[in-house]
Amino acid sequence: MPTPLELIRKKRAEAVGRIVGKGYLSTKRVYVGMATCEIAAGSKEVMEVFQKAISRGLTDVYLSQKGCAGRCNLEPTVEVIEAGKSPVKYGKVDKERAQQIIERHLKNGEVIQEWTID
Amino acid sequence: MTATYRIIVCDGTSCINKGSRKLTDLLRQELDKHGLTDQVTIGLSGCLGMCDKGPIMVVNPGYTIYGGLTESDIPEIVEEHLVHGRAIARLAIQEDHLYNRFFRVFGDAKFFGHQMRITLRNCGIIDPESIDDYLSLRGYEALAKAITEMTPQEVIAEVQQAGLRGRGGAGFPTGLKWKFTAAEKASPKYVICNADEGDPGAFMDRSAIEGDPHTVVEGMAIGGYAIGASKGIVYIRAEYPLAIKRITKAIEDARAHGLLGDHILGSDFSFNIEIRLGAGAFVCGEETALIHSIEGSRGMPRPRPPYPSVVGLFGQPTLINNVETWANIPVIVLDGANWFKTVGTETSKGTKVFALAGKVVNTGLIEVPMGTTLRQIIYDVGGGIPFGKKFKAVQTGGPSGGCLPEQYLDTAIDYESLAKAGSIMGSGGMIVIDEDSCMVDIAKFFLEFTQNESCGKCTPCREGTKRMLDILTRITEGRGKPGDIEKLERLGNMIKKASLCGLGQSAPNPVLSTIKNFREEYEEHINEKHCRAGVCKKLLTYQITEKCVGCGACRKACPVNAISGSAKNMHVIDQDKCIKCSACFNTCKFDAIAKV
Repeated sequence: MPTPLELIRKKRAEAVGRIVGKGYLSTKRVYVGMATCEIAAGSKEVMEVFQKAISRGLTDVYLSQKGCAGRCNLEPTVEVIEAGKSPVKYGKVDKERAQQIIERHLKNGEVIQEWTID
Repeated sequence: MTATYRIIVCDGTSCINKGSRKLTDLLRQELDKHGLTDQVTIGLSGCLGMCDKGPIMVVNPGYTIYGGLTESDIPEIVEEHLVHGRAIARLAIQEDHLYNRFFRVFGDAKFFGHQMRITLRNCGIIDPESIDDYLSLRGYEALAKAITEMTPQEVIAEVQQAGLRGRGGAGFPTGLKWKFTAAEKASPKYVICNADEGDPGAFMDRSAIEGDPHTVVEGMAIGGYAIGASKGIVYIRAEYPLAIKRITKAIEDARAHGLLGDHILGSDFSFNIEIRLGAGAFVCGEETALIHSIEGSRGMPRPRPPYPSVVGLFGQPTLINNVETWANIPVIVLDGANWFKTVGTETSKGTKVFALAGKVVNTGLIEVPMGTTLRQIIYDVGGGIPFGKKFKAVQTGGPSGGCLPEQYLDTAIDYESLAKAGSIMGSGGMIVIDEDSCMVDIAKFFLEFTQNESCGKCTPCREGTKRMLDILTRITEGRGKPGDIEKLERLGNMIKKASLCGLGQSAPNPVLSTIKNFREEYEEHINEKHCRAGVCKKLLTYQITEKCVGCGACRKACPVNAISGSAKNMHVIDQDKCIKCSACFNTCKFDAIAKV
């Protein structure tokens, strides 16, 4: 009989497998803030823009929601993470900015500096 | 090279002592030599918690941690890693610690660089509704470790040794609380998570649950194992629907994975969690009132002792901790008490989450090591006061805390230092106040809140806060009398001493601390009927200055016809008629109306 510690390690491996199965290893991972504060600032609409783009054929993107990172005055926030590159953190993302992030960053690899958080 | 690197050098005391600042200088020189200054940015961080391996340097992207660095290592890092993109295995520390995971994504941003994240380690980097995300970051491994390798006594000893103290505000040693509850013979026992966050402007617990609910669930399960309880309750206020949804889902998912319920992970330990909603009464954050509320009675406190660890929910021994306290537990179990206690001050270990708000450039949810100074929080993390205004005070601890003026800015925060300065740690509200705010008005705001939320059980709190509020209202309306300040002090001290629970015992704090630190503002209000910040409307007079062009806009805006004057001539305000509504002030396009 495996110990709880062995069991949890197995569960962890399975969880990682499931996440990878959902496309975690895609070139770009996109995280949209979806805590109460972010939603109040309009992040649901932003999420929908990304969802729609994926349903319309945007590929190689892993989309996830996330909790509050803590940047209240810059919400909604969106991160684009690529292996081997610095994670890009966008602030005050609205529908229009989300669309631009899709066109310029996700499709063409351009980091839109003026919207990033430092 | 195409990639831009960001390097974070640990600027904690231990790393500085080991020469980190010299290394930073050297790094800058080397970058300059290679012409990389524009492509590599260097940031300093607060203590990264790896003191035994210092000096520490983190290279992003990749979160490569270099430790034990000497001066001769710097050229190699620049040449190999930054120029050729080859991380140096010899210098890299392989650490899969739980804390600071957040920094793998956010570590290079200035705002986050000064922080240290234990409680909020996963907040903002994982999908809070996915148990897979949590499991993949060693989720529930602490629970498994406790069940597999540790006896309940060992778990308690670990928490005690870590020096963790209650994050709800009072700072009672958590391990001791666990020990007392574990020592009780009665059965069943209960575990409660206090998520009844009610301070105005505070949102630490909400964000923690919304961002990483499983941490709280795991912490509670470990607590249940340690004290021998099989039932846990999350008491959360109904105003937090998203937090409720997420923690409910977390509990269901954990159950589906065999991480809650009977025979957790095939062991003999069984533990279940259910949720109780609070109706939003501030007093229900007090543990005995909270317990009454769960039992179905009116949310009112009772005298202690007996403490809930002896007589708690339904008369049984009960372990009750705050959200933030619970979220620390998995880290203590997995990363160890020995590591945990390296963070913080002599008396207060670990980190504290604050909701930074008010007149500060970067408002937000922050987590910093105990011992960080108020100045570091407000200026380094918070980015200072906006619009070039002058700092006046910082309010900590919400309606139970106090306002600290400039001379306390270099106070290294922990439970003792804040109390000594005349405020409290509290649950983590932190409001920055600039010169445009009136301290009497702020004291009144907080007292209005506590007076409203007083449950009415004991007289000092019920009647005393009301009388204090009467006096404060009088002062802000220009009807203050000599002796009012002394009366407020006497009443305040009486309420503090004679009230039954923490609400009453701390309710006068905002008033007493502002009297202590800003007495001259009270005196001005009373003696000169003057509010220097121009906030107390009834003490203001509006006057039209020579800038007036006689456009008549203010005359038309005035709802009581107090302004007279003919076209193109300077207008005047009849002070007897003026109701001080500010309509003229807001209407004037020529900046010709002054508040005096």
